[in-house]
Amino acid sequence: MTTSTAPIAARTATTATSKRALALPALLFLLIFIFPFVAGPHYVILMFSAMGYAIALLGLNLLFGYTGLLSLGHAMFLAIGAYTAGYMTSTRITNFELILLVAVAIGATVAVPIGLLCIRYVKIYFAMLTLAFSMLLYSFLFKFYHLTGGDEGIRIKVPSLTAWDLSGLDTLSVLTGPLYYYVFALLVLLTALMRCLTSSSLGLQLRAIRENQQKAEYLGVNVKRYRLVAFVIAAVYGVLGGVIIAIPVGLADPSIAYWVQSGNLIFMLLLGGYTNFLGPLLGAVVFIFFQDQLMSFTEYWRLTFGVILVMIVVFFPNGLMGAIDRRGWWST
Amino acid sequence: MVVNVTLLQAQNVRKLYGGFCALDDVTLSINDGEHVSIIGPNGAGKTTLVNVLTGLVRPTAGNVTFKGHNVVNLGAVRLARLGMARSFQLVNIFPQLSVGETIAVAAISHLRHGERFFSSTARNRPVWEIVERVAAIFGFSGKLDQPAKILSQGDKKLLDVASAFALSPEIILLDEPTSGVSTADKSTIMRVLVQAARQMGIKAIIQIEHDMDIVFGYSNRIIAVHNGRILADGSPASIRARADVMATIVGRQRDHA
Amino acid sequence: MLASANILVGGVFHAAVLFLVAAGLQIVFGVQKIVNLACGSFYALGAYFGISALAWAAALKVPAIAFIPILIGSGLLLAIVLGPSVERLLRLIYDRDEHFQILLTFALVLIFEDAIRLIWGAVPLQTINVYFAFGELRIASDLAIPNYNLIVIAAAALISVAFGWMLKRTRFGRIVRATAENKQMSEALCVDVSKVYMAVFTLGVALGTVGGALVVPAGAASIDMGVELIVDAFAVVIIGGLGSMPGALIGALIVGFVRSAAIWLYPEFELLAIYVIVITVLIVRPQGLLARTA
Repeated sequence: MTTSTAPIAARTATTATSKRALALPALLFLLIFIFPFVAGPHYVILMFSAMGYAIALLGLNLLFGYTGLLSLGHAMFLAIGAYTAGYMTSTRITNFELILLVAVAIGATVAVPIGLLCIRYVKIYFAMLTLAFSMLLYSFLFKFYHLTGGDEGIRIKVPSLTAWDLSGLDTLSVLTGPLYYYVFALLVLLTALMRCLTSSSLGLQLRAIRENQQKAEYLGVNVKRYRLVAFVIAAVYGVLGGVIIAIPVGLADPSIAYWVQSGNLIFMLLLGGYTNFLGPLLGAVVFIFFQDQLMSFTEYWRLTFGVILVMIVVFFPNGLMGAIDRRGWWST
Repeated sequence: MVVNVTLLQAQNVRKLYGGFCALDDVTLSINDGEHVSIIGPNGAGKTTLVNVLTGLVRPTAGNVTFKGHNVVNLGAVRLARLGMARSFQLVNIFPQLSVGETIAVAAISHLRHGERFFSSTARNRPVWEIVERVAAIFGFSGKLDQPAKILSQGDKKLLDVASAFALSPEIILLDEPTSGVSTADKSTIMRVLVQAARQMGIKAIIQIEHDMDIVFGYSNRIIAVHNGRILADGSPASIRARADVMATIVGRQRDHA
Repeated sequence: MLASANILVGGVFHAAVLFLVAAGLQIVFGVQKIVNLACGSFYALGAYFGISALAWAAALKVPAIAFIPILIGSGLLLAIVLGPSVERLLRLIYDRDEHFQILLTFALVLIFEDAIRLIWGAVPLQTINVYFAFGELRIASDLAIPNYNLIVIAAAALISVAFGWMLKRTRFGRIVRATAENKQMSEALCVDVSKVYMAVFTLGVALGTVGGALVVPAGAASIDMGVELIVDAFAVVIIGGLGSMPGALIGALIVGFVRSAAIWLYPEFELLAIYVIVITVLIVRPQGLLARTA
């Protein structure tokens, strides 16, 4: 038995919490924190959305970067979050925390049966199954007008906060003020939580499953169970992100579940770098601002994204974080 | 005194692949304290036998029980929990995981720490104690941080074996653990394996092996497989006395080498 | 009676087109082990290009009898133009993880969708009146089937038979099958695998574009049709098994009939019905009804 303090092999994991490695996320969080003080309202709202996407992507990357399951239908959970916000704010229960809680409950409940079916399959089958489920949701949201408002959707009013009296504030002030920082706190919390999960035995076992499913099983790792856990966690993060993203839009409509949305999520993830824990965060921020600028230039943004995605896939598979985090402090 | 407990039992196992009979009416039991070598020419059915014994392949007829449970129904995960581990003939690793992490996966399973979702693995002392111990036994002490994919072929093989050992199983099945390793290292590895087994309380070792020096030097029981059937099953001395086995299998081995 | 006959014909018609596209998917998967998510895009492109081709033909006062060959021809032309270049792009990631192939073909879906928007606009388009140009088959006093449906079904059947014959009887077909079985062996036997891959991929694209071209007179071309098709084609492949041609046929028939029945009886449940079947198949027999064990 050794007398060393930290075990050698654990060095890679603990290095990530060393001062230099913490600089990366700290910088990003600082930027987001001071943003409302330096940028105009239009951009602050964008950052608000970016935070929502970042949360959703953290979940998606648990599924893809860590577990090796590529979901082409993750947007379905964004939609569940958005519609929950819509339904609830149209009643008297407009409390933000409550909306989040209810959304999580619904998201998890939906994710379990869908996950149980989908995680039996890998790669293309998993991708297509998740795509199919999200398109199924889209179709349902679109067609059942009386339940879902059809393609008109459901309006989402600005939620109220328990700790803050928002009366008297107009929507813009709320979104660039109290609610913005509320969401920021949530983002930091959820990022820390995800970091905790990925550093735990769950993270290690998920990576083992990703690398070699058969061997993982023979080493006693319950592949099906952990895949399901990852799927449900990803769903919960997706639902939370969905609520946040939908609030500035003010509307929950079927297009949120459409495959293009799932594609955007994937694109953001690849852009930020799926092989890195911080990829989701960076990808969300860069994408949202890039999309905003791009849309003012051309209406053919899908084409642009498609081309960029091709470049990323072929030449820069590790995305932006692959270039930034060369020592791999935060790699998955 | 070693109690002759039967750990693993195969009854009338047949395995057909279409028209081809890979295993024909195989019955055997592996007991506590045995170090078994499974020998036979290529294509004789050795790997199929191990695959059936470990539940990877479902037999066409017959059954295999491990500590009383039918292995097919259990699946690899429950088998690992019950105390069965195996290594593979072809290199089977986690390419992006480090050596330490690979062994840690097994250690986590053994310690039943798999559900500790909120505590950092890096600070899990019991896990890393096992990792360091197993790594030391197998010579990986300086390589814990290295990603498995950059190891040499022989080291990868060894890592596969080491991680199986880290499960602290009761019975371990190894598919040609020393293949891909130079002759000088083979005996070192075998000594390591035997020592590891003793240290970790492994009750039985089953080894598919081509190297007859190792077979006769280390095992206390030899099962000779030919054309899907068990040609002979007994102590090294009794096998040496079987001219047919020596000619069919041992003879052929020399040709290969 | 009227409803069931319509369901029958509609179902077979839909199945015929679906089979063509699914066959394209299967052959590309069988040989190159790539699942082409952009198959729906090729289908949509085939539809739009077919509309343009017919518009051009009508302007030249080409007789109606030539419409079907024109549609098929336009599909083939499009495939020959697009297939090789897309294949060369995919070649860059052949040996990478399957996820990258999915992502790349997904990027293509995005690109092609905007390409359609750019060239033809976002509003759904219809062809000139081709559907009823061939008259109808009167079965009963209240039941008439447009001959177009029958012609397309026949055309699809013909193409399938030709395709099967090509695979089984021609030298090229043997080379394709050999390369599918064992790429390295084929290379060792001096088969130019990259040429085979290009040919096979283009063939797969062609089946998609021709399918789209043939189906468009019966409906309209819309931006969404590509993704709707991917979902259908996926259902076909799941039901029949990835890599199996006979499976694709059975899957196509099942999906075609279910779609057709749903449209006539319960339109809201159209998509749901397909998924119920897909999910049932996945639970009961995950490898598909007729999957190849490879």
